[in-house]
Amino acid sequence: MSTTAPTPRASVPRTLDVSGTPKVPFTRTVSVELRKMLDTRAGFWLLAVSGLLLVVVAGIVMAVVLANDIGITANGWVQVMTVPLSLLLPIFAITSVTAEWSQRTGLVSFTLEPHRLKIIGAKLVAVVILVVATMALAVALGAVANLLYGAFSGNDVVWNVDGSAFFWTVVNQLLYFLMAFGLAMLILSTPASIAVYYVVSLLLPFMVYSAVYVLVSWGPDVLPWVDLGYAMAPLVGGGPTGPGGPGLEVTGTTYAQVAVATLIWVVLPMVLGGRRVMRTEIK
Amino acid sequence: MITVENLTKSYGGFTAVDDVSFTAEAGRVTGFLGPNGAGKTTTMRVMTGLTPPTRGSVTIGGHLYRDLPNPGRHVGVLLDASAQHAGRTGREVLTLGARTMGLPASRVDEMLALVSLDERESKRRIKNYSLGMRQRLGIAHALLGDPSVLILDEPANGLDPAGIRWMRGLLKSYADRGGAVLLSSHLLHEVEQIADEMILIGRGRIVARGTKAELLAVQGDGSTLVQAVDNDLLAKALVAAGHEVTAAGAGLSVSTQPAVVGQVALEAQVALVDLRATEGRGLEDLFLELTADTQREAPAGAPSAQPATPAHAAPQGGPR
Repeated sequence: MSTTAPTPRASVPRTLDVSGTPKVPFTRTVSVELRKMLDTRAGFWLLAVSGLLLVVVAGIVMAVVLANDIGITANGWVQVMTVPLSLLLPIFAITSVTAEWSQRTGLVSFTLEPHRLKIIGAKLVAVVILVVATMALAVALGAVANLLYGAFSGNDVVWNVDGSAFFWTVVNQLLYFLMAFGLAMLILSTPASIAVYYVVSLLLPFMVYSAVYVLVSWGPDVLPWVDLGYAMAPLVGGGPTGPGGPGLEVTGTTYAQVAVATLIWVVLPMVLGGRRVMRTEIK
Repeated sequence: MITVENLTKSYGGFTAVDDVSFTAEAGRVTGFLGPNGAGKTTTMRVMTGLTPPTRGSVTIGGHLYRDLPNPGRHVGVLLDASAQHAGRTGREVLTLGARTMGLPASRVDEMLALVSLDERESKRRIKNYSLGMRQRLGIAHALLGDPSVLILDEPANGLDPAGIRWMRGLLKSYADRGGAVLLSSHLLHEVEQIADEMILIGRGRIVARGTKAELLAVQGDGSTLVQAVDNDLLAKALVAAGHEVTAAGAGLSVSTQPAVVGQVALEAQVALVDLRATEGRGLEDLFLELTADTQREAPAGAPSAQPATPAHAAPQGGPR
């Protein structure tokens, strides 16, 4: 039927003039990704439950501390408030990535922005913003709790937040979120990513490593190299039994251990996962 | 506007799209037809940069998709209406799109009105949307950036008959205003009424292309169906005039044009009840026949003897 080709119409444009269209600025992509993180029902409940956890944990700690007449300082409050934030919020980092596959929204996201690295970068920035914002909230709540503690107990309010320990607490929090993000890119499935993340970040350290650390002779030598929590413990001012335990000394080895654990759990998943996201077909 | 050149996509040993070339022009609706698994969706995914081609290329208005700045402003895409976050509201989905493209929030309301999703529906979560509502939302999303090219994969899926008619009108007027529409479907009747041109694809290859009339012209064998008050008398007259006559239903099938049969009837003074050209086997049959060897199940009653017959009429690979 090539003989019956449609009559060529001179007026029909064959090219698109795109010179007048600016690219989508990165900040806009970030703000959209941030919004996408929070605008679903799951996002709403995650935030609501995390907020509730913060208040409940603060309440319980307050009750225990007052009842037993234990002193608590601002530093203690920051440590306490970080825990609820590290429980559920990493799921945001995971679903931000995996929803594009599990919910198949990637079909839309990656056609509106074909440069996948830009979307991944925007998601990463959105996750960092989430971590910083929630940490700020935790600090504010901690300060309020500290004041209340002073009022209830009659003790002097101690504002002793150690700058270095606080810095490393934020870094620690960030690294765990980035690990969740990297694993999510590597696995690209919401349930599997969440399962793997919690096994690595919570289950293994609490159920297995803690026993190994105490019972096995090589435990204290090996674990800080392979687990982020054990590697970071001296820096955030915690001991092998968690915050509040006997303090560990920070040495040059500590930084090497943090670097190695970060390489294994953050850098490697990020790089391999990033490659996967770049290459995979969006269906 | 959309130019597909020698596009091939293979997965291991399986070739999903095999050396496909065609164009979809501005101001026209191009129908992309084929049975399930024929390669339509793969072709569209390559078009929009979601799938890398094995060979060949697709350009839109002379650009690779990934080179389009803010592509939503130029190309409206709907690949799968169900591919939306179940926990987001319809309005939120459009808001995200509008924000990404840098459009005012009022555009969201315009689009919702255009696809007849009312205020209450737009605030429901997509989990609670029917497939038809998802399609409407998807079409609204595709039109959001006022693009000059539309790529729609099975947009009529799940729409009720009124919805299909509405969509036809929408796409027709969009093309009339100069837009290029590429529309895929596995259902012929959805497409034949609006498509200015049709591309038929089966097992990854283009098996025929052209306007509806062109496709049917290949099929028509120039014979006539006729029914007279006195069929026997007419049959005698036709045989005497040198035509082959066979009984067909309540009438006769004659191996010549209707005008000739009418003339014979006039001369024989037989009153006619019905007189029409044989419609070949219709577009539906053509479609089934062309894609017969690519169907998962051979359609009952479809002539299977020479499924490739029309291929010579629609040469492969000839750039149009």
